[in-house]
Amino acid sequence: MDVFQILLNGIVLGALYACIAIGFSLVWGVLNVINMLHGSFIILGGYLTYFAWHYTGIYPIILLPFVALALFALGYVLQHLFINKVVTAPVLTTLTLTFGLDMILYNLMTVFFTATPRRVTLDLGTLSFGDVYLPIDRLLGMALALVLTALLYLVMRGSRIGRAIVAVRMDRQAAALMGIRVNQVYSITFGIGALMAGAAGAIFAMVFPVTTNLTGVFLGKAFVVCVIGGLGSVPGALVGGLALGLIESVAGYTIGPQNAITVGFLLMLFLLVVRPTGLIGVKGYE
Amino acid sequence: MQFTFRTDMTELLVVTTNGMTFAALQTQNNGDHGRAVRDDGAARGSTEQKGAIMRNTIRHLAKLTVSATVLASAFLAGPALADEDGVLKIGAPLALTGGLADEGKKQEAVWQLWLDKVTANGGIEVDGKKMPVELVYYDYQTDGKRAGQLAEKLITDDGVDVLMAPFGSGHTKIVAAVAERYQTPLVACVASSVSVYDQGFKYLFGTLAPNTGMTESMVAYFKEKMPGLSKVAVYGRDDVFPKAMATALAASAGNAGLDVVYNELYAVGTMDHSAAVSAIKSASPDWIYMTGYTQDLILGRKQMSDLGIDAPIITMVTGPAYAEFTEGLGELADGVTSSTWWHHATSYTDTIGAWSSTADFYKDFVAKFGGDPDYVHGSCAAAADVLVNAVQTAGSTDKTAVRDALAATEVLTFYGPIDFGDNGMNQGREMPIIQVQGEAIKVLYPAAIADAEMTMIK
Repeated sequence: MDVFQILLNGIVLGALYACIAIGFSLVWGVLNVINMLHGSFIILGGYLTYFAWHYTGIYPIILLPFVALALFALGYVLQHLFINKVVTAPVLTTLTLTFGLDMILYNLMTVFFTATPRRVTLDLGTLSFGDVYLPIDRLLGMALALVLTALLYLVMRGSRIGRAIVAVRMDRQAAALMGIRVNQVYSITFGIGALMAGAAGAIFAMVFPVTTNLTGVFLGKAFVVCVIGGLGSVPGALVGGLALGLIESVAGYTIGPQNAITVGFLLMLFLLVVRPTGLIGVKGYE
Repeated sequence: MQFTFRTDMTELLVVTTNGMTFAALQTQNNGDHGRAVRDDGAARGSTEQKGAIMRNTIRHLAKLTVSATVLASAFLAGPALADEDGVLKIGAPLALTGGLADEGKKQEAVWQLWLDKVTANGGIEVDGKKMPVELVYYDYQTDGKRAGQLAEKLITDDGVDVLMAPFGSGHTKIVAAVAERYQTPLVACVASSVSVYDQGFKYLFGTLAPNTGMTESMVAYFKEKMPGLSKVAVYGRDDVFPKAMATALAASAGNAGLDVVYNELYAVGTMDHSAAVSAIKSASPDWIYMTGYTQDLILGRKQMSDLGIDAPIITMVTGPAYAEFTEGLGELADGVTSSTWWHHATSYTDTIGAWSSTADFYKDFVAKFGGDPDYVHGSCAAAADVLVNAVQTAGSTDKTAVRDALAATEVLTFYGPIDFGDNGMNQGREMPIIQVQGEAIKVLYPAAIADAEMTMIK
């Protein structure tokens, strides 16, 4: 039975990784911006959910859309006011800018909320099939990862803004000549990235302790997942997340938790050498 | 009147007890835009005013923290400061922002409480004269390297007489190396790993007792309470203190004839414990011993429950020693045991230092902060008491004399007896075993201060 439990652990964990990485992957793929704020966005979403739940008792799942919208607004404004000014500069410039913004956001959260780990203590229980257990809050996280991926796919395929985002990514100049307001598309894209982080944060508040100490961990996972899954295709984050989750789960069980993270990084290095586009990434996005 | 001027890229906080506090925060290029808070203590230097000044200053600092471009500098004025021998200057690098901010703030809070108490008495009595005490600390932003640099700055720039170490064995080790180089006495109040103290340092002293004492008494106690106890799983964070505790427990359990069925470490930055928890579950231990930071332990405990673990004893170090552990876990915290260096249920009386008994300290602490103090508060306040005691014994702030006095220390503080051994660690204290029962933290051991019987997790 252990085998099933390990595989299930890996899939569920992988889905959570995908939740972390979807927004990050979008921003990186479209804007070519490595968004150092992403981990803090997730934690901010977690804090908003935690405090709203703590003071009103409303279920995190109901709070999720509101938290996600709040993060969208924040992401939009940040991109509009700051990142758009340097978005065409080399990637190091935008990296430094988002790093600086992250320091501000991170320290603001530490000052106002303190780094004390908090958690929405709604234990939703766990489903058991014989000896195999599936925690319900993680199941919710998995559902969220699938829904977010599907929604993003549909938006990119079917909506005006989605087509505009794709157009801007393909050729910024040509898109501008076609009358697309490029900077606005950038702001909306960054907003969507933040929205996805906020949605993940709302679910994570039930699964993980909410503390600013975790921002760096989330950011690191998002990065690895994107490299493994590949940029430029919507399901990339989902595939990368699942792959990383499964590998860490199996490695953690067989060769010990101390080495599980190392194995994930080794996979990343291996892929960078033999397949820089990642598992299902599109060429030209690496 | 002498003027000291400092410029540095970091937050600076200066509190003096000589009745004259002057802190100015200003930008690098234009001093005229600086903000100043002045407390003319000669005329109206009440404690309340100092509290207000502190709060104001902290508020300014909070603003500064978020602005990477703003420089902080401070002017100090006052006749007492000019006279290096007339004042005891204690320096400390503290983690006021970053990952260890919560712990750093505890140190800051309890030292402020201590300083207020000392100031209310007009300073400390050395050689028949009252000597004011000054505390200088910098935020090292939970960056170990920076802690070392700031310790150096405190010694060379600020001219502190003695140092106190920041939170944790890892950062204490860094600061200890600097203190040793400058032969400045350093008292560490939150470092308990023997690896910090066995480097042959002569100027380092620690108020926490060694980890190993903790694990042996715990194994013996649990064997007594659960006669069928045979299998133990040990799961620790690969970090200085949590690793030392996990290693010590595995060794103690092995020596006591228990079967260590799982013994693994997890890497710093581990986001999920499901693989390890599943492996532990397969080994079906009677006792799970997990070490780590509060966030790791909250997640670990939750995943044990999620994955259907039913071990009757779960110990988390140092989880339940912190209120945030029980708050973050809710009902799942119930039954979790831990060990700690100090609990406020201990009752020492006729103690030296700012407080004459444990109850006295507890009363002051609760009055000021509302919540209960934990071992960080207790140990750090006691460290300040021990430093003062050494200065009083030495009769001056001479670093070598203070160091020798510290080495010879054998006193009873509100926190318990303090007697530094050859390696500088506090020797042989019976450390309490605690358990979360309902919403309360109960003391199980030692019998003298126990207030509950141990319960098994169902």
